[in-house]
Amino acid sequence: MDTFLAIFTVFTQLDLLVLVGVGTFVGIYIGAIPGLSVTMAVSILISFTFSWDVYPAISLMVGIYMGGVYGGSRTAILLNIPGAPSAIATAMDGYPMAQRGEAGQAIGVTTVMSFFGGLIGILVLALAAPFVSEFALSFQPRDYMLLAVLGILLVGSLSSGSMIKGIFAGSLGIAIGAVGRDPLTFTERFTFDFQIMEGGISFIAVMIGMFGVSEALMQLQNVNMKAVRQKIDRIVPSFGTVKKYLPLSLQTSTIGVIIGALPGTGGDIAALMAYDHAKRVTKKPKVPFGQGAMEGLVAPETANNAAVGGAFIPMMTLGIPGDAVTAIMIGALFIHGLNPGPMLMIDQPDMFWFIVGALFTANIFMLIFGLTGIKIFTKIVEIPRSIIIPLILLLSIVGAYAVNNSITDVYWMLGFGVFGYFMRHYGYPLGPVILGVILSRLLDDNWRRAIISEREELGRFFHGIFTSPLSLVLFVAVILIFVSQTPLWAILKKRLFRKTS
Amino acid sequence: MHPEFRGDMDHHDGTSDAIPGGYVEKQRPGELAFAIFLTLASLFLLYSAYGISGFDALSAPGAIPMATTLVMAISAFAVVLRTARLKKVTTETLSKDILPGTVVLFIGFLIVFGLLLQPLGFVLTAAVFLIVAIKVLAKRGWGYTLAVALGSLVVIWIVFRVVFTVLLPAGVLPEAEFIQYFRNLMSAGAS
Repeated sequence: MDTFLAIFTVFTQLDLLVLVGVGTFVGIYIGAIPGLSVTMAVSILISFTFSWDVYPAISLMVGIYMGGVYGGSRTAILLNIPGAPSAIATAMDGYPMAQRGEAGQAIGVTTVMSFFGGLIGILVLALAAPFVSEFALSFQPRDYMLLAVLGILLVGSLSSGSMIKGIFAGSLGIAIGAVGRDPLTFTERFTFDFQIMEGGISFIAVMIGMFGVSEALMQLQNVNMKAVRQKIDRIVPSFGTVKKYLPLSLQTSTIGVIIGALPGTGGDIAALMAYDHAKRVTKKPKVPFGQGAMEGLVAPETANNAAVGGAFIPMMTLGIPGDAVTAIMIGALFIHGLNPGPMLMIDQPDMFWFIVGALFTANIFMLIFGLTGIKIFTKIVEIPRSIIIPLILLLSIVGAYAVNNSITDVYWMLGFGVFGYFMRHYGYPLGPVILGVILSRLLDDNWRRAIISEREELGRFFHGIFTSPLSLVLFVAVILIFVSQTPLWAILKKRLFRKTS
Repeated sequence: MHPEFRGDMDHHDGTSDAIPGGYVEKQRPGELAFAIFLTLASLFLLYSAYGISGFDALSAPGAIPMATTLVMAISAFAVVLRTARLKKVTTETLSKDILPGTVVLFIGFLIVFGLLLQPLGFVLTAAVFLIVAIKVLAKRGWGYTLAVALGSLVVIWIVFRVVFTVLLPAGVLPEAEFIQYFRNLMSAGAS
């Protein structure tokens, strides 16, 4: 009964309901304006909702998250610019559809399918998270350490972009997270004897710099690009269309939830795998894939919204994010004094169920706002970049300053902004950096706890790993992923293929 | 999908937040230099991590930093080797495609913004920044620039001070007195 009440907290308090609604609305538009992204919006918002009570702050951010994941599909369809990593696959068939003048239909189907996928994801989250969290209580520190390494490796290697650069980015994140006085022994790390570095680098400054400032600087190069005027008419799809793709969307939602639930993999990979799956199972598409096939739109969109619910499972039960956006959401929970992990479900079950309720509500708002207001939408998307860019920069500075009222954070933010700008240009993914910063503490603490409990002996540590099935599975996964990044793998593969041929 | 996929021709410059820039089989201007910089910086950090506690103990505060900076140095060096083997992109130059004048100018604006934020206060600094930035980017008349810049500043200021209650440096403007004046006005009207 308490659970039930907690889920519906959102509905009983009007202000929370309004905040989820406003968040979803804003999220859709932020995701849909080229040059603005969910990651940027949530990272800037963390610093502004800092002084709020936890419930309203979470309501707003959950709304933005849910709306943003969906909104990213709009620019993917209309402009071939994915608004979020999870919309990369959407652009492959969505943009050709828009070019044919079927943008309205593409958006309509995307909206309904996103809602459907989101619903399945939230259901699985509600059903599975309590079990996972109970299971997670039996995790040893070494398991957490292995999970964190696994998460960073997976994001580094699987997310779009070069693998080795992803690994570099992930370790850079861990190093950034280690700056300052070590919380256990109070030893200074990477402070170079500067007093301002003793407190460490504010992860919000890193986030805003990497996702806000660097993006805005990037957009400066396209400032004169004309906003594309799109004619969008009827968008509510017919029931027949929805019914036709229902079987496929069930399969792809399942893929989405499972991929989303793995630590370190999020909506982007889920969407790409679902797209691949749709390609394989659709024997005779009406239009070939890549030229505007409806299946190629349904699959990634159900999967990436289903992955939202999926990604919340490891995030809330283990404290391990699936991608950059969930990493930022963890940051948001930290800021409000919540500690995502198995204890969250035991100490504050209400908070967990409240978030489930908020996600559910946001999903409904997404459907409503997605299918209406297309007139305002085309107006908002046409705001010239010459106004948007200065505003993003202004918000970034204010956001970085607001958390600690410190000008030092503003400079960190600018530094990481310029650094991130170069990383973007040269193909280094930014997601793993944020993941590394968020997981740095968890990784460090658990490694030390694990090795101290084994009396500093590596032999005993590995003995522990090999005698626990869970640790062994995680360890093997880490090794496999790591080996697949090295030249050793290529040599092995060559040998194997020669044998089979 | 190619495992080294780094965006297509349309997005090679990292225009989209989702797709990192760069080409798979070519190096962009300055890419090699950046990779070398990262390698050297990683090595320096590795040295600094060694300085934290050396090879004291496996649980020492320097253990994880040393491990991560080692991974950084190795992966950055691998990137150097890989990048050096690639052909250069012939159609791009550093000053046109990677670091155009506008970007340098705006980085400068942001640094000045940071310097002036505390002494001048948020409202004045932001007003100057928005006016200059929009003037430079939009290349429109002063009327348009001032209207847009000040209009959006008012909205932002109201949102932050009222909705988010963010504390911003007041600087030289009597901001607090101004808010208090309105509060008095409102309460006078209410009573």
